[in-house]
Formats: sequence, structure tokens, C-alpha cells
Amino acid sequence: MKRPGPLLTLLAGLLLGLFMLTLNATSGTKTASSTYREKSPSVSTSPSSTPKSKPTPTPSPTPSKTPVANANYAGRTDDDAASVAVSVRDGKAVAYFCDGRYKEAWLRGPVNDDGSMKLTAPNGAVLDGRIEQGRKIHGTVKDEGRKYAFTADKAVKPSGLWRATAKVRGAKIDGGWIVLPNGRQTGIVTRDGKATAAPRIDPETGAVTVDGQQLTAQPVTP
Amino acid sequence: MTADPNAATQAFPPRPPARPRDSPARYLVPALVAAAVAVGLGVYGKVHDPAGTAFNLAGFSSTGAVKTWLATAAFFFALVQVVSAFMVYGKLPGPSWASTLHRWSGRIAFLLAVPVAVHCLYAFGYQTYSTRVMWHSLLGCAFFGAFSAKMLLLRSERLPGWLLPLVGGLVFTALTLLWLTSALWFFRTFGVTT
Repeated sequence: MKRPGPLLTLLAGLLLGLFMLTLNATSGTKTASSTYREKSPSVSTSPSSTPKSKPTPTPSPTPSKTPVANANYAGRTDDDAASVAVSVRDGKAVAYFCDGRYKEAWLRGPVNDDGSMKLTAPNGAVLDGRIEQGRKIHGTVKDEGRKYAFTADKAVKPSGLWRATAKVRGAKIDGGWIVLPNGRQTGIVTRDGKATAAPRIDPETGAVTVDGQQLTAQPVTP
Repeated sequence: MTADPNAATQAFPPRPPARPRDSPARYLVPALVAAAVAVGLGVYGKVHDPAGTAFNLAGFSSTGAVKTWLATAAFFFALVQVVSAFMVYGKLPGPSWASTLHRWSGRIAFLLAVPVAVHCLYAFGYQTYSTRVMWHSLLGCAFFGAFSAKMLLLRSERLPGWLLPLVGGLVFTALTLLWLTSALWFFRTFGVTT
């Protein structure tokens, strides 16, 4: 038991690992907690404030009595392969299905009074879902012949559905992001129809840098 | 001089292998530490709620790209490891500083791999949703266990000659498979981008 080198190597690796972990943990919780608590009251489109606006008949989103409360939902497919987010506004819904690599679909359609919906995408993808007690959506997405069951919980800004479109050096850029309540992001940027994994957006502002160009993603509403 | 009746026993060298030749701790401790590291990482990855997020470096398009290039650099140093190991063992002609090269390329490879593993475990966790991902998760935990064992074994002397090459080979194999199931996949899926 003489050589300290190997032990020092292990120790250095351990310290480096712990250092990076704390870096991640501190920066992660900062965005997660601060954006959560502070942002939601100030944003006009946040679900908590919408019931106060006139179109909704009842003041609080009492489940199943009101036709459909405006809200955002975000979650993962049961096999954890992709994220699904749904934004419901005034009886209409837009949904985004995205695996963060190359599979994505923007789906649109009406929401029935009982909370059920069938949303479709130009590429043939279909989302069948149902809002359960205004708290979550259970359903399936059928895309390219595969069926994915998913559960999407009610999401408060900054989690939810984001989109950015722009022209960068002549290429048409279309980016979509799903931010889950735990801060996890799934996004795809399409450059002239070619999909790749998207860089992270700042969930506070929607700022994102795509191919060196600073873009601002916006929350998506139907 | 009268013969001591105990002379015969005294003729034995006074415990010449005073070193704990058969002390199982020399093998047991590295093995147990290896198991603890591998299982510990796996359990953390499984229990910890994947954050999906982590650091990014300036100049890279995504954390995936950062990890891919870090892992590729680590893999490069792992190749240096194999070559320099052959030199240390005299199987290949090498310079006198081959063992220094071996030590430092190993350290660099390990330290390059650590941030990648931290990101994997923190952001993704231990996942099994596809064959590639399952093997990657499994091997990732095993790699750091095997590496810990290798480091601890280095501190023991008089090991069986085959042991270090075997464990080193395991570490290298694990890293190679890790690279194939992640960085190569990334390059094939997204192209060789930064």
C-alpha cells in the first residue's frame, strides 16, 4: 500500500463529479423553483389566472362542471420515449408530440365538453385524449404506425409548450419545446424540414440560440 | 552445542512472506468497492428523478454534443491506454516514459468521462427503454466500478500477473462499448457536429 497515485486519481474523479453535481443541482433548482413560484402569478395566460377572465363561466376550474377550463398539460409517454404537451384554450387544443431527436408532430383540434379530444396533425398523427378532473390528460398518440400512451399533468408556466420560428441564414427554422414541471426539456429544431435535437431554451424567457442566432420561443396557444 | 529440538522449525525462515500473501482483503476490497460503486451509481440513476437538464459549454449546440466530444476524447485516451500498456509490459517497443504516459492518459480519460457520467446520471438516470440505452446504463455503472477496482488493485503488490491486464481490459471494453452505444449513436443520428 504505497502508491497514492491511483487513490488520488479516484479522489479527483469523485471531487470533479461532486462539483459538477452541485453545479447542476444548484443551477437546476434555481430555475425550477424561482420560475415556478414567481412567474406564474404575473403571466396573464397562466391557467391559475384565466378562470378570473370573463369567458369562463365559473370562477374556479371546478372539474367537469365547466365545459373545459383553459390549461396547459405536459408529460411523458408511458415508455418514456417522448414528451407530450397540450394547450387548451376556449374549447380548442394544440398539442405537441416530440421525442427530442427526430420525431415530432403538431396536432390540433376541438375539445368536447366532456374533456375528450381528438387532435390531428398534417402528417397523419392522431392524439386521442381526455382531460380528467381538470388535472391531467390520459390518452394516446398514434404516429407513424406506433401508438404511445401518455399521461400529461397540468403544467404551470414555464413548463408547457413553446415554439420559435425564424429564418436563419436563409434556412427556415421551426423549433418546438416541451418543458416538463420537473424542468426536463424535450425539443426539436427543424431546419428546412430536417429535424434535429433542439438546444435548451431558457424557461424564464424562452430565449434560445439556434445556429448562433438568438431566438425567443413563445408559449403556444391554439 | 546441543541440538535444539526445535531447530527444524526454526529453520523455516521467520515468516518470510510476512506480507499477507493470501489475505483475501487485497482482492475483496477492490471487488467490494467496485460492486458498491457500480450498484450505487445504478441506484442513484434509478431513484433520482431525471432532471433532463445540466450544464452546457459555450460553442456547442447541445449537451449531447458536449458529452459526445468529451466521450470521444476519453475514448482516444483509452486507446493510448491500450498501446502504452503493451509498452509497459514490453509487448510493444516503447519509450522509457511509457508508464508515465499510461498513468496520465488514464487519468485524463477518467476525468473526461466523469462529467459525461454526471450528466447522464443527473439528467437521464438509469434507463432501459431500448436495448442501446439499457446496455449503456448497465455498462456506465460497471465502468466506474471496474475503474475503481483497477485503481485499488494498483496499490497492491505481487498480484497475479494476469490480473491487472484483465481488469484493465475490462475497463477498456466497457468504455469502448459505452462510446459505441452513445457517441457513435449520436454521430450517426445527428451527424458529426459540435
